[in-house]
Amino acid sequence: MSSDSTSRVNTAFEDSIPEAGASLESILCTEELQRRPSRPPDYEKENRALVALMSALADSTSTIFQTLADTILDITQCDSAGLSLLTRDGQKPDVCGRRFYWPAIAGMWNPHVGGGTPRNFGPCGDVLDQDRTLLFRHFERRYPYLMPVIPAAEECLLVPFYVAGRAVGTIWAIMHSDRRQFDAEDDRVMASLGKFASSAYQALMNIEDLKFQVSEREKAEAEVRELARGLEAKIRRLVEANVVGIVMWNLEGAITGANEAFLRMVQHNIEDIASGRVRWTELTPAEWRDRDERAITELKTTGIFQPFEKEYFRKDGSRVPVLLGGALFEGDGNDGVAFVLDLTGQKRAQEKLQEAQQSLYATQVELAQVSRVTTMGELTASIAHEVNQPLTAVTNNANACLRLLARGSIEPDVLRQALEEIAADATRASSVIAGIRAFIKKAPAETSQLDINEVIQEVLALVDHELQKNRIAVERQLTRTLPLVTADRVQLQQVLLNLIMNGIEAMTAVTNRPRVLWVQSRMDESGNVEVAVRDSGTGFGPEEDRVFTPFFTTKANGMGMGLPISRSLIESHGGQLLAQPNVPHGAALSFTLPAAA
Amino acid sequence: MSTAPVVFVVDDDPSVRHSLKFLIGTVGLHVETFDSAEGALQKLPPDAPSCLVLDVRLHGLSGLDLQRQLAERDCQVPIIFITGHGDIPMSVRAMKAGAIEFLTKPFRDQDLLDAVRIALERDRARREQGKELAELQSRFDSLTAREQEVVSLVVSGLLNKQIADQLGTAENTIKVHRSRAMEKMHAQSLAELVRMMEKINRLLKKPS
Repeated sequence: MSSDSTSRVNTAFEDSIPEAGASLESILCTEELQRRPSRPPDYEKENRALVALMSALADSTSTIFQTLADTILDITQCDSAGLSLLTRDGQKPDVCGRRFYWPAIAGMWNPHVGGGTPRNFGPCGDVLDQDRTLLFRHFERRYPYLMPVIPAAEECLLVPFYVAGRAVGTIWAIMHSDRRQFDAEDDRVMASLGKFASSAYQALMNIEDLKFQVSEREKAEAEVRELARGLEAKIRRLVEANVVGIVMWNLEGAITGANEAFLRMVQHNIEDIASGRVRWTELTPAEWRDRDERAITELKTTGIFQPFEKEYFRKDGSRVPVLLGGALFEGDGNDGVAFVLDLTGQKRAQEKLQEAQQSLYATQVELAQVSRVTTMGELTASIAHEVNQPLTAVTNNANACLRLLARGSIEPDVLRQALEEIAADATRASSVIAGIRAFIKKAPAETSQLDINEVIQEVLALVDHELQKNRIAVERQLTRTLPLVTADRVQLQQVLLNLIMNGIEAMTAVTNRPRVLWVQSRMDESGNVEVAVRDSGTGFGPEEDRVFTPFFTTKANGMGMGLPISRSLIESHGGQLLAQPNVPHGAALSFTLPAAA
Repeated sequence: MSTAPVVFVVDDDPSVRHSLKFLIGTVGLHVETFDSAEGALQKLPPDAPSCLVLDVRLHGLSGLDLQRQLAERDCQVPIIFITGHGDIPMSVRAMKAGAIEFLTKPFRDQDLLDAVRIALERDRARREQGKELAELQSRFDSLTAREQEVVSLVVSGLLNKQIADQLGTAENTIKVHRSRAMEKMHAQSLAELVRMMEKINRLLKKPS
């Protein structure tokens, strides 16, 4: 059967033949069935036929409609028999179809298999409309498109059949001559066969459906397989490229698979993995277990864990810094995959950077020290010269007078002039001292509101290298919620740097106890901000009272100006700088600054 | 030609300058003051025995610069350095270059006056030595070439006869040259002549 020829035939019927005028009533003679003499029922033959049909339905569904047509032909002894099914597309049965098509025909009309009639204008449609068996005589008189369908039908018995209460098609028997007429027995048999047609239709539809579903599923599966093959290839490429470490694991700690890149990072071979000897829990140093736990919590809630940095043990016990990110596989929520990036290179670069920064800091500290010493040295020289000039004059003049007096040969004018010069030079010396004090007090200050803890951290960062070099531990005891202070940042840094450097220097000789520098910030009873710098160094010794005396020093190369200047700076900020012995060792220097208004 | 000693004081601080002049003046010394090294250079070297009291830190040329320039001019005036803030390397440098003393201000008056006294003594001695040498040199220059030749051989220890052989002349002729030379040199004995010639030779050998 060819759908092409079918549609051609149908089109030909419907387009070329004008509508005839014969009414439906004029072509129907259904009532005659009951009046005609009926042949006796042949139940045996009928049963045999039904059994045969049933087994055919089971064995060869594809030909069931043809078998049905053959059976009708046989049982009713007609000339042609067949069935019509409603379709939407002219091929596939459909209860809402617009056409009938003839899937199987037995007898003389067999060549017309694949033909059909419109739903809304044709004998099959009439049967469905009236929902009962109808007997037609020469239906081509009403439906001219049937005229070319030869031989013409003398009588046609049409029986509807139903699926789930809806008529979906008809079975029919046709006599092309008056050799015999259909009777009530035919009506009964056809009704019986109609029920079979219904079952057969349903079975067939289910099978079709099933086939369709199966094929659809197969298609879908094929697509998935295709997709999976593509994806798998891509993933395998990623894994085998060994650009990143890939590791598969479960939450119990096992490693279920890993690529070469990962194995290289941790220096294990594939046998170590395959044997289950290597577990990610054991590759992880103890201090990173907490971080792993957080990632697992994240995995359990979101199915993934965001990349984070950690370390793994290598086989030789050394550590490799890595960046790790991953996800759970769908399924039991126990297995997953992760990528692992070796951060050794980055870490090394980072360390180099830090080293560079450290040495920069060290240089800065050295520079600060050098400039401090240089400044102090120059300052001292300058002070010495400025003060010594008038003192020299005073001494010379006084001694000269004494000599002349001893000889008794001094004239009053000479003496007066000498004494005047002595007085002038003494005044000059004291004004030099006053000028220095004023200079120190008047050192240009740029005040702003500062967080003292920030200044402390800055200075500690500056001396970090010094602290490390001298193996000094820093104990920070910084109170977080301190009021701001109004101060010159640079001057505060200088004071802190001075106190801390003093502490460091005082500890360099200490070998019999830990070298500890305590830096504390707190609020005192009066609401002032207090900073204390304590050390476990050699302390002030017996001359504690003199630490603020200019040029007093306990250090081999000290200038003895650090603490006096620091005290001046703190006092110019409205604060106080105190020195006390630290218990049991070392010195404790503390200063206060009023809280900013 | 004045022979009264003079002390040159160089300090850029007027108070110090005046007080130094007053102090040094109490021991009866003549003092001349200068406020710069350049000013002092124009009056050096003086005719009389003298010394320099020199501040290290000066405007313009420093005290140490002045010391170097005087050495270059072979002006051997003794120097006493005074400084407001001396350091060890600086004083070592000054002393190596021939300074008499390096005093840190303010200094004991006696220390300065002692240093001045020593410096003037030394300058006077140096000057007298220089004068004696000049006298010896002029006596030696008054000898004839033959007499100088004979004197040189006499002080080297040769006998008259040996000298006569060496010069190819008679022993009596050598005796005449020798007594003339002794007379011109004002030498009372052979030993004195030898000492005189040693002084002259030391002067001649000394690099100038």
